[in-house]
Amino acid sequence: MTQNVQDDDGSGAKDGLSGDDQASQRRMIEDLFEGGLETQVDPFPETDKEFSKLLDQLRELGPEDLREKLVVSGWKLTPHGEDEMRCQECMYYLVHKRWCDLPELDLPAEPEWWCRLWRI
Amino acid sequence: MANLLWLQGGACSGNTMSFLNAEEPSACDLVTDFGINVLWQPSLGLELGDQVKTILEKCISGEIQLDIFVFEGTVINAPDGTGEWNRFCGEPMKNWVAKLCDAAQYVVAIGDCATWGGIPATAPNPSDSEGLQFLKREKGGALGGDFVSKAGLPVVNIPGCPAHPDWVTQILVAIASGRGGDLELDEFHRPKTFFSSFTQTGCTRNMHFAYKVSTTAFGQRKGCLFYDLGCRGPMTHSPCNRILWNRQSSKTRAGMPCLGCTEPEFPFFDLAPGTVFKTQTVMGVPKDLPTGVDKKGYMKLTAAAKNASPAWAEEDIFVV
Ligand code: SF4
Repeated sequence: MTQNVQDDDGSGAKDGLSGDDQASQRRMIEDLFEGGLETQVDPFPETDKEFSKLLDQLRELGPEDLREKLVVSGWKLTPHGEDEMRCQECMYYLVHKRWCDLPELDLPAEPEWWCRLWRI
Repeated sequence: MANLLWLQGGACSGNTMSFLNAEEPSACDLVTDFGINVLWQPSLGLELGDQVKTILEKCISGEIQLDIFVFEGTVINAPDGTGEWNRFCGEPMKNWVAKLCDAAQYVVAIGDCATWGGIPATAPNPSDSEGLQFLKREKGGALGGDFVSKAGLPVVNIPGCPAHPDWVTQILVAIASGRGGDLELDEFHRPKTFFSSFTQTGCTRNMHFAYKVSTTAFGQRKGCLFYDLGCRGPMTHSPCNRILWNRQSSKTRAGMPCLGCTEPEFPFFDLAPGTVFKTQTVMGVPKDLPTGVDKKGYMKLTAAAKNASPAWAEEDIFVV
């Protein structure tokens, strides 16, 4: 049976990761942005063809290439565009685990964050 | 007793294979319990060559009453409308089809190829294939849009790639037992009893659909296959999750997206690379939304569902 480790604020952590690991990954992402990380927010992949190209790029990266993953995916710590797109509504987002379930990213995420692989 | 003749045009025999696996009722039950006399069937018939031709000619002349003519596969017109690429018993199959449809009380098209052209009719359609009364969504086909058989019904279309065996045997039983006139057909001549509900009806992933949790890999038990893996269950008319395959499963239950094979456009997007098993999107929104849902409504629904989703929706609840 799948058992979830509870992290500090009580939300279920991603399977196989402790709440602490998840929190430290989340901090690493925030630190990178605090350090001035610029990501490739544009262009938004208009159709699946462009979307797949981004996935191909991401697949070439290893799990340790966090910085590069964030750059390629156009990661942001704020909602995006007129429609205020954000992880919270993205279909890859697991709201309770606060996790991006897109296998090519597989990272902690906050509801107000966003990346250009967003899809609803 | 009802005489049944079954022929194949541009086909892979998949519908025959499916038919032979029928359970409720089985192919044998048709003969033993429901009085269907199979005059000839490509995989079951013992006759060969001229013997088959004689059966066809007797059906056309009326010497043998042809109650049900079943056709599987496309009507092939190539080259140049002659149909010579698909010859059978000494002449193009398309000629036999035309004559037998005129002689039959009921005509039943089995599988996508016979109903609307299916995979062979995908662009560029080299064999110039079409279904009996449709080419994809367009009415007409080999027999013309106005065709009705002697019993007064148009071709009864049982689509699918292949069609579920029990859809086939149950419709044949209805016809053979004199209830053919009770069959209600939809705009694509599909029996409404099977094709009014959706593949999604009865899908075990409905809760994940409602709470907008996506499956991200084939075979995963958690999540809904619509959002990422191209599942067409919410807009495909079929009872695949009501009348299960092999009486126990379905594509979506096994973690495999519905390909929409009971709809006239199948295979969708002409099988262009990257379109199969991938939800097609425009600016992150699915191109094809669940039937009856508009883009605005879909966005609102998603936001509300995500906000309301319970924690268990993110788990694999099918614990083994
Ligand atoms: S794909 Fe992007 S927008 Fe969607 S949950 Fe992951 S990080 Fe957030």
